[in-house]
Amino acid sequence: MFARFVMSTSLVLSAFLFQPAAAQDTDDWRATSNRVDELLAAEWKVAAVEPGQPSSDSQFLRRAYLDLTGVIPSAGEVRVFLADDKPSKRVRLIEHLLAKPNHATHLANAWRDMMLPRSNNAQLRFGQTAVFDRWLRGHFVDNTPYDKIVRELLTAGGQANQNGPVLYYTSLELKPEKLAASTSEIFLGVQIQCAQCHDHPFDKWKQNDFWGYAAFFARLQRPAAGQRGLFQVVEGTAGEVKLPDSDEVVPPKFLDGKELSADSGIARRVQLADWITSPDNPYFARATVNRAWSILFGYGLVDPVDDFGEHNPPSHPQLLDELAADFVAHDFNIRRLFRVLANTRAYHLTSEVIAGESVDPRLFSRMSVKSLSPEQVYDCLSEAVRLREAVGNTGATSAFGRQLDQRKQAFLAKFEAPALRRTEFQSGIPQALTMMNGQFLVDATDVNRSDILAALIDASFFTNEERVEVLFLSTMARFPTKAERKRFVAYVETGGPTKDSKKALSDVLWALLNSSEFMLNH
Amino acid sequence: MTNSRSKQTIHNPQSAIRNRLTRRQMLRNSALAAGVSSWMPAFANAFADDPKRQRHCILLWMTGGPSQIDTFDLKPEHANGGEFKPIDTNAPGLQISEHLPKLAKHGDQLAVIRSMSTKEGDHGRGTYLMRTGHQPGGVIQYPTLGSLISKQLAPPSAEIPDYISISPYRVFNRSAFQPGFLGPRHAALTVGAADSFQQQQADGYAQLGVDDLYAPDSVTADQVSARLELLASLQDGFVARHSTDSPIAHRTVYERAVRMMKSEAAQAFNLEKEADTVRDAYGRGRFGQGCLMARRLVERGVPFIEVSLGGLGGGALGWDTHQNNFARVKELSGELDSGWSMLMSELKDRGLLETTTIVWMGEFGRTPTIRRPGAAAGRDHYPAAWTTVLAGGGIKGGQAFGKTGADGVAVTEGKVDVPDMLATLCKALGIDPRDQNISELGRPIRIAEGKPIDEIVA
Repeated sequence: MFARFVMSTSLVLSAFLFQPAAAQDTDDWRATSNRVDELLAAEWKVAAVEPGQPSSDSQFLRRAYLDLTGVIPSAGEVRVFLADDKPSKRVRLIEHLLAKPNHATHLANAWRDMMLPRSNNAQLRFGQTAVFDRWLRGHFVDNTPYDKIVRELLTAGGQANQNGPVLYYTSLELKPEKLAASTSEIFLGVQIQCAQCHDHPFDKWKQNDFWGYAAFFARLQRPAAGQRGLFQVVEGTAGEVKLPDSDEVVPPKFLDGKELSADSGIARRVQLADWITSPDNPYFARATVNRAWSILFGYGLVDPVDDFGEHNPPSHPQLLDELAADFVAHDFNIRRLFRVLANTRAYHLTSEVIAGESVDPRLFSRMSVKSLSPEQVYDCLSEAVRLREAVGNTGATSAFGRQLDQRKQAFLAKFEAPALRRTEFQSGIPQALTMMNGQFLVDATDVNRSDILAALIDASFFTNEERVEVLFLSTMARFPTKAERKRFVAYVETGGPTKDSKKALSDVLWALLNSSEFMLNH
Repeated sequence: MTNSRSKQTIHNPQSAIRNRLTRRQMLRNSALAAGVSSWMPAFANAFADDPKRQRHCILLWMTGGPSQIDTFDLKPEHANGGEFKPIDTNAPGLQISEHLPKLAKHGDQLAVIRSMSTKEGDHGRGTYLMRTGHQPGGVIQYPTLGSLISKQLAPPSAEIPDYISISPYRVFNRSAFQPGFLGPRHAALTVGAADSFQQQQADGYAQLGVDDLYAPDSVTADQVSARLELLASLQDGFVARHSTDSPIAHRTVYERAVRMMKSEAAQAFNLEKEADTVRDAYGRGRFGQGCLMARRLVERGVPFIEVSLGGLGGGALGWDTHQNNFARVKELSGELDSGWSMLMSELKDRGLLETTTIVWMGEFGRTPTIRRPGAAAGRDHYPAAWTTVLAGGGIKGGQAFGKTGADGVAVTEGKVDVPDMLATLCKALGIDPRDQNISELGRPIRIAEGKPIDEIVA
């Protein structure tokens, strides 16, 4: 077992060292990163704010892994990164992470959570999220231009178990009003659904705008009756929406008032896709770069990210405009967008704030502390304790796989939450109890059942100090501080209350896994 | 937090927080001064006059959908009525099933709503509808009733979580048991979840314990303390360096959870503190013991407790009596009768019934017509005309509200849909149903969309 993680360490090592230095150097992404920093710095000057210190290598490594791949680095990856003394190592790390399969999976998870209602519709979805996930993930692996991905979704038809994006329609029951509310929120970052029922005095969107937009989805149909038809979508040639409680048919209308093509042969959803993904659309690129920004920085430049409008102006309007223009100019290249943002100096700032210090998170002069999603908590726990096959385990066909999956489901059921603000810690007492005493943690920290503890204890050439070190590297992505080293090593040496060094080691692992530092992205 | 649209209540006319705080502090002081249990009833009586006392809600959730005609809306004159006879309650004119004789003595506390009419006849969808007040399938994840109400009634800082769910069977629709857009901090603490098959105790009491409250036996008590010390040393360092909302919130939640693991308050869950005579009177099963636990939790100020009846037992799904309707409803009625009536008696003795509102409901009712007559006769799902019951604090008891026809097929008077029933419950609890929470989509959502039924609220 020990051989296994020595080997995995050396594999990572070679992958990392032989990464071609900044493969994208021909591109001008550095200029954009610098421009972002310039615009942020200008605001700091206005607000008379000093930015925080740069993050330490450990802090940065853990953060970049969590933000770009969803999971923490292994102890081996931490050692390699910390030992690297070349100044280009952070740039290379970002390239390495952007190319990892986990990165595509992580983005697919983020976009799926955004696109599909999370738990309410479990009944409608059945197993078909797998097809949807594959579709999304495939595009992120290939780095398909984002406008193409969105166009594919907006014009999708067929059977949900064959064509991934169809699930988007069936999970919203093909209802024009739901699709209108959802697509405008996801792709344009605007809330128009409040205008569904009636005009609001202060809202830009009137009831007619809402239903005019909804009319683009009026011709979706389920071809066959019964269970099979439930998961099938075709575009018909007839069908209209009416204002609620009236017979007034509302013709399709773009949100910016632009006229539809006179050619009635072009399906409504194709026309909508043309309009949404057009380089001239004022909302699409802004909404997208803002989402990417919030994934890395915790807050959006417009925050909440799905509520653009005069009532909720961006914190940095020019920055948002320029990033959006840059995104369009580079063919809606998602990977490049993350490269630009992750290489800004702002993304590398510390998250440390001492008591009494007042920091406005919307100035981005410090990194915000972000919460992990329930899935991330589970994946990080699995990675930290080296639970085999857990991370990225999607197949789950073997008996062992199913068993793992059940353990995961049981764990996640306790933490299930809608994707709320990531800068707010969401959990309560029941979840804390599950972390401290639940079956997963009990197994993971049990001397006889824990993979990592077994490996450490088996490795007779390790000193207790080295064992404590591995536990810190595996959970916190850093070496213990001097004080921690003293305290924890002494604890293991004396064996704690049980006078048993093995059990004491499990106590150390338990404490690390339950700590704020482990449970948060900072 | 700046510019945060998070889930605060926009408008809260309840200004009782100061009073609640005072009461809670007094509770705590008394708990330190006196022993554990003897002071409770006297103490509760002393506060019986305070109109702003802590309010409580107990949901008796009937998994599977109970048959209204065989419990609270009997039809002895009609073939649909089946085998059971009605009996008088202590409230003039109000009759209920002969298999609920102990509850009949509390008829003056019951408002039996015989005119429920809903539109979901599938377990999963009906469960979601009744427990959230909204149809399933939408984009918004509506919170379950316990999360909504406990958030409104929560005392400012409590050792025990504000929402306790006892023996829930959540398989029909998990999201109907979740806090939805209110977030996990308003999630239930579950006690003895009944989600999978469990061996029923042949004799003795059903074992109910808080999920994950204690470390496993393989970890000694000293080890737990040592672990918590190691953890505290890590927390102190990290929070000192990250003095922002999330790290502080994380540490606070852990401190509360640890307090609960160690605290006297967790004794609320220890039913062995009760005399066997009391435990027996509630019934030895999960429901009876759950009702007893609910009483102990109300005594300790917990605002919302739900106790489920009708999880899996002997392979049968409780109230879902497609077959063997009469034998099974009779058996379930026995458990219901003992648990519920003892709960009311004991709360009343302690002066707590007037601040505790009890809701009895399932996901829908059952068909008036009897399917497959004979020994295995059953009733199927039926949402069009059925019964729920409100009882106790804030409720005008001793009445049946609304009517179904002689055959029980349709509501003939006072039709009630879910939103109105939930709004009525809110009003009985002193909550304004129009209070709003902000959904994950940034839209304000009322606690209940309906209008309270004035005839039911005291």
